[in-house]
Amino acid sequence: MFTTYDVFDDLLNFRNAVDRFFDELSTYGRKYDMPYVNLYEKGDHIAIKALLAGVKPEDVEIHLVENSLVLEGEKKADYVERPYIRKERHFGKFKKSIRLPYRVDPSKVQATMKNGVLIIKLEKSEEAKPRRIEIK
Amino acid sequence: MMNERRKIKGKNEVVLLPPVDIYETDDAFILKCEMPGVEKDNIEILLDNDELTIKGIVKENGEDLGTLTYSEYRLYNYERKFRVGDNINGSAINASLDNGILTITLPKSEKVKPRKIEITFEK
Repeated sequence: MFTTYDVFDDLLNFRNAVDRFFDELSTYGRKYDMPYVNLYEKGDHIAIKALLAGVKPEDVEIHLVENSLVLEGEKKADYVERPYIRKERHFGKFKKSIRLPYRVDPSKVQATMKNGVLIIKLEKSEEAKPRRIEIK
Repeated sequence: MMNERRKIKGKNEVVLLPPVDIYETDDAFILKCEMPGVEKDNIEILLDNDELTIKGIVKENGEDLGTLTYSEYRLYNYERKFRVGDNINGSAINASLDNGILTITLPKSEKVKPRKIEITFEK
């Protein structure tokens, strides 16, 4: 009988492990507050997508303060009086301020929640829009 | 809420491991899984012998929100596997999705349910 062991297989495995470490490095050191948000810009419109799985829409408050958007709320625990085999999910209150690139019109804010993702749509306020000044 | 990332070996595909809570009731195991951004139709639950696989495909729905200028997360497809043993009644698994939380009910099979044994005394 001969063996199929090849010393290069082990070397390759080690290389994969190193590759993986560097790939995932950016996620180890994350220090963002809950909830995680992404911000999209298109012309005079901003959209914010926040991950809020398990948070009821009535438990979220959205405020506009100066040119920041404040997300405040509570993710209420759904624990039951039963023996748990695994407990990995986190619950609790959150408050997060997101700095917007420009001032937005407070009367044109739309927020929708679907499948645990909150989408907030904002529009640039009139005073933040560039104005053309006539030369007399 | 924190999602771990990992790679599937060989396929070079990154998936998210959704965090779960699992608890036991008298006649079932209840699994609550966080999968924000997945539609009901894109969830796949598979029981193969004693291995339960949960998959959730993340699809960006049509609307173009613009260019991403600030980002704290990235969504990948979700996948997680559990060894559940052979005491699950596979034909009666039930699942529901509410606000990004997937709840799966795995009913215990009859043979492992606690039974009350009547004691009869002979006189």
